[in-house]
Amino acid sequence: MKFSVEKLVQGSCRLGVLRDVGKLKNQTVETPFCLLYTRGGSVPNLSNDTLGYVQDLPPVALMPLNVLAEHHETVQEYGKGIAEFTVMKDFLVCCTMQDPCTAAPSGYNDKTSVALWGRSGKMKVDPELFVKVQEAFQPDWFQCLGDADTCKTSSKKRTKKAVDNTLNFLDEILSKRKSSQTLQKMALFGSIGGGFSQFERERSAKETVARNVEGFALEGFQNDGEEFCQFGDKDFVDILSLTLKHLPEDKPRMMCAVLRPDVVLQAVRAGIDIFDTSYAYAATEKGHALVFDYNYHTPSEEVKDSDETKMSTPATESGFTINLGDKKYRDDFGPLLAGCKCFTCKTNTRAYINHLNNVTELQQGILLMIHNLHHYLGFFSALRQSLREDKFDQLEALIAQQKPHSPDR
Amino acid sequence: MAAKHSALSLKILAECPVTKARACEMKLPHALVKTPVFMPVGTQGSLKGLVPDQLRDLDCRIILGNTYHLGHRPGPELLEKAGGLHSFMKWDRALLTDSGGFQMVSLLKLAEITEEGVKFQSPHDGSEMLLTPEHSIEIQNAIGADIIMQLDDVVSSTVSGPRVEEAMHRTIRWLDRCITAHKRPHDQNIFPIVQGGLDENLRRQCAKELIKRDVPGFAIGGLSGGESKEHFWRMVTVSTDELPNSKPRYLMGVGFAVDLVVCVALGCDMFDCVFPTRTARFGCALVRTGQLNLKTKLFAKDFRPIDGDCKCSTCAKYTRAYLHTVATNETVACTLLTVHNVAYQMSLMLAMHTSIIEQRFPECVQKFFEDMFPEKNYPDWAVKALASVNIVLK
Repeated sequence: MKFSVEKLVQGSCRLGVLRDVGKLKNQTVETPFCLLYTRGGSVPNLSNDTLGYVQDLPPVALMPLNVLAEHHETVQEYGKGIAEFTVMKDFLVCCTMQDPCTAAPSGYNDKTSVALWGRSGKMKVDPELFVKVQEAFQPDWFQCLGDADTCKTSSKKRTKKAVDNTLNFLDEILSKRKSSQTLQKMALFGSIGGGFSQFERERSAKETVARNVEGFALEGFQNDGEEFCQFGDKDFVDILSLTLKHLPEDKPRMMCAVLRPDVVLQAVRAGIDIFDTSYAYAATEKGHALVFDYNYHTPSEEVKDSDETKMSTPATESGFTINLGDKKYRDDFGPLLAGCKCFTCKTNTRAYINHLNNVTELQQGILLMIHNLHHYLGFFSALRQSLREDKFDQLEALIAQQKPHSPDR
Repeated sequence: MAAKHSALSLKILAECPVTKARACEMKLPHALVKTPVFMPVGTQGSLKGLVPDQLRDLDCRIILGNTYHLGHRPGPELLEKAGGLHSFMKWDRALLTDSGGFQMVSLLKLAEITEEGVKFQSPHDGSEMLLTPEHSIEIQNAIGADIIMQLDDVVSSTVSGPRVEEAMHRTIRWLDRCITAHKRPHDQNIFPIVQGGLDENLRRQCAKELIKRDVPGFAIGGLSGGESKEHFWRMVTVSTDELPNSKPRYLMGVGFAVDLVVCVALGCDMFDCVFPTRTARFGCALVRTGQLNLKTKLFAKDFRPIDGDCKCSTCAKYTRAYLHTVATNETVACTLLTVHNVAYQMSLMLAMHTSIIEQRFPECVQKFFEDMFPEKNYPDWAVKALASVNIVLK
């Protein structure tokens, strides 16, 4: 994997390009971008057929190991890797440790292993097993085994231990990688943790940079799987910016978490390049549709032929989403978002989805997932455009205006 | 006699010279349906786990909605405002709704049947409510399905005695009230329901009475509710004997493959059942030889598709081993298995339709039973039922 920053906007926002990623030999991926979040190997609620209803999907799927790892022997026997096993072979695969949407019970990691919580309970993954899993899965890139069990309130001792464990795991994996041809073909991202401790963050960053990794995964900010509300706070922005200062410019930085659009922009400003679509799923789970406006062009500069970006701001509501369970949509025969070109909005109404919500029909999850994915990906496309056009400020201001009063929107 | 107000026409393409099976084309306001047909059930205005585009891809032409559920949520007012259920759920093909009576009796313990209608306690606020034949039709007119059902007096198929006869007569009286209340005969087809419990004479009597009415098709009800299979097939065949050839016959609540094949042979054209889609959600896939419970370890390392001959998109791409990892764990498994199970039902019905046209339906039946029962341990009732229409299973 090769990465280069093509343009640095306002000192720290990076418009970059990933090249030579796995199978994508001649294709480049522009950053900041989103990995396609999956669970158990599928985009939640979507089969290969229904995923096809979403246009302009990102080229890389995010596959957290937590629920998949227990199937490594099956995939090993299958022999063609996790992408083909899960019918996601049109995508590159990036394997990370924990699911951004699921709380992993705290307190189960130690010096020798990291606990992954799958369907059949806890699975202790040590470096040897970790290598076995990766050799079976054959992802195009993977995050190193790491201990991310820290949050804002973690003790000094826990935070230090997590960083120590993670660095030790990295050394072991790097040494095992030397004798594994399969692993050598994959890009390896080192995990940078350290909770909210400036000292541990700097130590984690500096030590990881000193090792042979292709990129960095920023984690250890939160360990409860919830939407990262605290990401909005100043401490987070400060600690993230500070950590990223220690990283080399020419390697990508990934942060997989449930991130609201305003937090995505903060993270971009801090210097993150790679995100994921778990926010779209988290909203879907709540019966919410993303409706925030990301068309930062003023009316006079609106791009021609791009109806997609001409979206009306939901006038009556603050927040990035609307709750389809709300009674007021009972007889609202408009689309989820006026002007939206997604599969769902083309034919379905808020009233119908409100009905599906009332009677807890599975189709709600399918229709909302399609819309929310489409919208979140559209936001990232606008984000890259804003960096190219030097209008990141405008996008930031537009998103800030829509910031919700209550934290769950 | 063709119905005066009919939004249905039935063209018999071929009749099996051996059995009572026939292959038809049934023209409805929203679809041309090949029969014999299986109609998947989308109880609350959605087929669980699928979007309508997937049903279209499966060449599904008609699905069911349940009046009891839809009448409650979203309710007839909203459905009317939405322009009917077709428009509300974005399903442009045919729909059929039941009368709501069956759910009332099966779901609500406190339902009481009077001449006026079905009296029941609202499961929501406990208030006493009454579903009359007129009200059922009013809701069904608001829903706007291509085929609607009369409100019938449903008696559990295990009940016998005078209650069964009373229900049969009441069903006929209610039919007349339904026909009078029906406001959209030009674009909605009302089907009466043959009742009569497990009594041959009552069934015949009921059917004879119903066919005097000017209706576009008939249903056979009150079966598939726990009665013996022996009773079941006899009641079916008695009913089809009485019903006119020129109109479609809908056997309500039947959807197991064996039952479908036998009842097609006995002359039924339309079927519905929640089983194929419900079992999918529990991780079971239907195949020629029965069903695969993909949850079991047996399939953990089975890298074959559910059925190598199946043309559905699940079988085209997914292995049993992957389905094993997601079955009942991820909602996507519901989608994947529902697609397959609907495809299975569709292809079984199409195979029968085609074989009837090609005048080889008995061979089709024989092949089906050999696949399903390779040891030839055919169920006794099926053997008898088929023998009654001149198929002797080898």
